[in-house]
Amino acid sequence: MDAHIPLEKIDDYRWRIPRSYKPGMRVPGLIYADEKLLKDIYRDKALEQVANVAFLPGIVNNSLAMPDIHWGYGFPIGGVAATDIEEGGVISPGGVGFDINCGVRLLKTNLEYDDVKDKIKDLIYRLFSDIPSGVGSEGDIKVSPKEEEEILLKGSRWAVEKGFGTDDDLECTEENGAMQGADPQAVSERALKRGRAQSGTLGSGNHFLEVQVIDQLYDRDASDALELNLGQVMVAIHSGSRGLGYQICEDYSRGMIASLAKYGINVPDRQLACAPVSSAEGKAYLSAMKCAANYAWCNRQCLMYLTRKVFEKFFGVSWQKLGMFLIYDVAHNIAKIEKHNVAGKEKELCVHRKGATRAFPPGHPALPEKYKKIGQPVIIPGDMGRNSYLLTGTEKAMQETFGSACHGAGRLKSRTSALRSINPDMLLKELGSKGIIVKASGRNTLAEEAPSAYKDVNDVVDVVHNAGISKRVCRMRPLGVIKG
Amino acid sequence: MKKSFYRFIEHTADIGIRVKSFSLAGLFKNAGLAITDISFQKQTSQYPGKHNIVIRQKAANVEELFINWLNELLSVSAVESLVFEDIQVTQINENYVDAVAVGRDMRDYKLNTEIKAATYHQLKVKKTGLIWQAEVILDV
Repeated sequence: MDAHIPLEKIDDYRWRIPRSYKPGMRVPGLIYADEKLLKDIYRDKALEQVANVAFLPGIVNNSLAMPDIHWGYGFPIGGVAATDIEEGGVISPGGVGFDINCGVRLLKTNLEYDDVKDKIKDLIYRLFSDIPSGVGSEGDIKVSPKEEEEILLKGSRWAVEKGFGTDDDLECTEENGAMQGADPQAVSERALKRGRAQSGTLGSGNHFLEVQVIDQLYDRDASDALELNLGQVMVAIHSGSRGLGYQICEDYSRGMIASLAKYGINVPDRQLACAPVSSAEGKAYLSAMKCAANYAWCNRQCLMYLTRKVFEKFFGVSWQKLGMFLIYDVAHNIAKIEKHNVAGKEKELCVHRKGATRAFPPGHPALPEKYKKIGQPVIIPGDMGRNSYLLTGTEKAMQETFGSACHGAGRLKSRTSALRSINPDMLLKELGSKGIIVKASGRNTLAEEAPSAYKDVNDVVDVVHNAGISKRVCRMRPLGVIKG
Repeated sequence: MKKSFYRFIEHTADIGIRVKSFSLAGLFKNAGLAITDISFQKQTSQYPGKHNIVIRQKAANVEELFINWLNELLSVSAVESLVFEDIQVTQINENYVDAVAVGRDMRDYKLNTEIKAATYHQLKVKKTGLIWQAEVILDV
């Protein structure tokens, strides 16, 4: 419990941890939450972690926490921190996490609920059998060492060149599916080997593929621009960089613990180990992190290709005729070098988003032409029993959160507690009674990922919308889910 | 869901475990086997061969050694597709560990929980009286 942390109320959706809370904090903590969510946030040690992140050298403005914040390791999950590179700002592998570029993509279809409601079980079973998922699963898309190196450089483009997608898919992916400056030489042989077998696999735990239907529209202009309607069937894919990212994070965390003394950096948790962005250690990590980010984008592109193939076989028409076009793909575990306004001056910052989504406003140069008017699509998946959301980024997010919003519902219950209290068979029945079909690789995953283990995503999205850091476009409810 | 050589401790997003032993060698062995127990469940015996893998790690202190050790086991297990059913620690002090991990083919196992890595967050490795105890948060 963090009940002793003093929070100053700024308004109904923002709370401050003053710098005076802990000697060593360079900036205050700023938490986006309402009173209801705050009660949950107080249940674990996430707020202490917000204060710890405020120790990072070069951090500017605030150590930020989104409303889905929960206890992580080092950084809280749902944390955003930006450091000023010119002022010795650091980069921390722990501020990105082991699953580098864990993220989510959302694609639409021109199917309506009535087209799938009697077939959803068969469709989900077909997706489950044709898309490799689960712990350590190996994919059908095999890559050689040379091809893996190409993936690390080209990201999603590698898949598109193989025929697993189109240029439009790249346009609708953050960074066009590949960060520039990736250097495979910065990646250990062990990391390469760990990643090689897992291309085109979903992964386990909270990773999923979900068939959804739009059940609420909020923003008519944005919905029209995206050609979205009530009752339209959507598909969300959530995955990351798998073993490659885990190994890169481990390799560089180990090195950066050693470099803390070298740079005279004092952080209250070794998992916050870091080095100046401009140092040799910082540059090498960033180059390796970009490789894992590119691998993850390629992986989600391959997963989308496999999904389109299943739909084609199942409905007997091409994916283009099914209207299976990508809305957007967002990373929610990543560090980016971005330009932001700090105290009236444009600064080059290293923005860590650890369980947070980029949410750039209308007109931002990083956005594709088609989204310049509405802003960046922000995809917020919920748990498997409630809702997911599509939002758009706002100018207020640029001013307050370095263009960032939440990334999901946020865990409420520990996995061990979920395993103790949730019966997977009862859960399947309960979801079935709501018309939700779930196929999971393991019984443990089912219990661990039960809706009651998560906060209500509706509450989380209410906060980001009402605080103005993203704007609701539409809400989806799940029809069927495959879990790793 | 829990074995006598380790206990779960609460953590919202991840898995925390507490491991005890009368010796440092036993502590490292128990923590390694706890990782196997959380991750895998034996289902068949179609691939009976044993694969002995030498694991050697060094570090500036016992806590870093403990994390390096667990992460090395996770990494080798993933890369070699092996499940470590037994561990023999041949030499150990607070800065160095040398061990043989006895691996079995992963295809004989059902995979329960993917552990991405052992983390430094709230890590404790210490000797109290005669007992070595470690607490570690595993990212899953």
